[in-house]
Amino acid sequence: MSIANRVGFSTDGYFKFATRVLAFLLVSISVFPILYTLLMTFRPANEFYSNSVQLFPHQPTFENWIFAFSELSDALVNSFIIASGTTALSLLIIVPGAYVFGRKQFPGKTSFFYIIIVALMFPYILLIVPIADFWYTIGLYDTIPGMWISYQLFVAPFAIWILRDYFAKLPKNIEESAQMYGCTQFSAFVRVILPIAAPAIVAIAFLSFLTAWNDFLMSSMLTTGTGPRPAVVELFITVAGGDTSDWGLITTETLIIGIPPTVLYLWARNYLSESFEMT
Amino acid sequence: MSVIERPGFKSRYNAARSTLSEHWFSYLLLAPTLLFLMVLVWVPFLKGVWMSLHQWPFGSGDPTFVGLSNYEYLFSWGPFYTSLKATFVFALTTVVQLGTALLAGLLVVNLDRFKNLVSASFLIPYTMPPVATGTIWLYLLDPSLGPVFKFLTQYGILEQPIYWASQGNLALAVVTLVTAWTFWPFMFIIILATLESIPTEYYESARMYGAGRWDTFWHITLPQLRSAILVAFSIRLAWNMTKVSQTIQMTGGGPGYDTSLLAVFLYRFAYDQGQMGMAFTVGVILLIIMLVFIVLFIREFEMQEAHA
Repeated sequence: MSIANRVGFSTDGYFKFATRVLAFLLVSISVFPILYTLLMTFRPANEFYSNSVQLFPHQPTFENWIFAFSELSDALVNSFIIASGTTALSLLIIVPGAYVFGRKQFPGKTSFFYIIIVALMFPYILLIVPIADFWYTIGLYDTIPGMWISYQLFVAPFAIWILRDYFAKLPKNIEESAQMYGCTQFSAFVRVILPIAAPAIVAIAFLSFLTAWNDFLMSSMLTTGTGPRPAVVELFITVAGGDTSDWGLITTETLIIGIPPTVLYLWARNYLSESFEMT
Repeated sequence: MSVIERPGFKSRYNAARSTLSEHWFSYLLLAPTLLFLMVLVWVPFLKGVWMSLHQWPFGSGDPTFVGLSNYEYLFSWGPFYTSLKATFVFALTTVVQLGTALLAGLLVVNLDRFKNLVSASFLIPYTMPPVATGTIWLYLLDPSLGPVFKFLTQYGILEQPIYWASQGNLALAVVTLVTAWTFWPFMFIIILATLESIPTEYYESARMYGAGRWDTFWHITLPQLRSAILVAFSIRLAWNMTKVSQTIQMTGGGPGYDTSLLAVFLYRFAYDQGQMGMAFTVGVILLIIMLVFIVLFIREFEMQEAHA
């Protein structure tokens, strides 16, 4: 490698330079809109509507943040309960299913897996109308358990698909050797396989949490103002209702809702990328 | 109908019993997954198709059977065709996402420093709720208050701000591009993970034979990425087509019906008007359009399985 680099030094120099410039541009496009908005939220109202564009506030204030937190606190609690419950339930469902698809042979395996693959590609928005109608009939409409269950639609197919590959890549004879030492099928799964697969399971847990926290479609159709309405829907209703007179408040609310999943995601990133290979 | 009268039943029953006793553990672990997907995908889907043959009010009202007249109404309704056109234009967002993700992936593997920082920042738009990023863009692009047009008019690049929300083509372009900005990192994650798993020996031996960057890209990188690209593209396409929040937030489906994608129509029929039957009729049409891609995806999946 190093010899090749030295031989083609001049073109390599340009190439390196171009790579860095393009990467910098793309990073700016990704991050700058959010950073700019973040700086805006520390402005007092009179600076918000000034005619010139400036980056930093002259007299920074936390007014917007304090007010936005008090407005959103109930909805944020709802979001948190909905997202954590979704995560717990999804692990219970997904991990055993993915394990079986990744490591066991049994009649009907392929056809069962098709059910999951098709569910992955299904335009979800289609299913929400009948689910809402069904939940209404059985009393799950506008309830937190109703949300926990319905989010499995968004989480399960993709997560099983990712996790299945991870299980399949583990060494072949783990279960057999565990059983030689006296494990049952079940204890081999729980005490040997699960600990090895922990990183991938953590990744799936994050994905579930973020999906439930970030989603708008399901929560807007399945909750009402008197029920467990999550923060994303509150924000949407404010903005889509055309009430955009107080941009300072709205952008602050936006970031309060947006920052927790971003922090979580960046933290869990290494787990995630490992699980996403597709060759 | 006793068991003995039906020849073959007993042996089939025994075969099923022995399969079950041999593989009970697998079926047991699989049961919750299948149960949930039945309840959340297949039952609602069939019920929805049934609903599309009705005038179906949300909640307690009684549905009336109307046969195919929901479909007839839709096909004879002008805005439906505007919506179809908007949906196809909007689908291009997936192409923009793929292009950006591919470029970003190649940039990151070729960087010699700050790899982690750069790829982490690429993820940020995707990690926020789309409603949040939609709000941010709505603010940034606000013609009278937002910084983008303030900046452009302040430095004389534009005479006056563009009121994009009231011009059909521009509104559709804005919605399409904001969706691209929000979701391209999903493809980036998959493409980057796959790029990093390509064995470096491939590149080393290609270089020994004198292959340049362009050659290695065409003959090694792209073929190795083929699966990842197809999978990411079809999942993303299916998911993009059901995104409604940013579009409704930014344009409300207007001006007129110019940005009323099929998914937006569905949402409005269901949420604003409580017409569940009509909503699902739109859904069935969306599904039929998507079916092409579902089939493509499954074919790719089968080829992958055959390889493994």
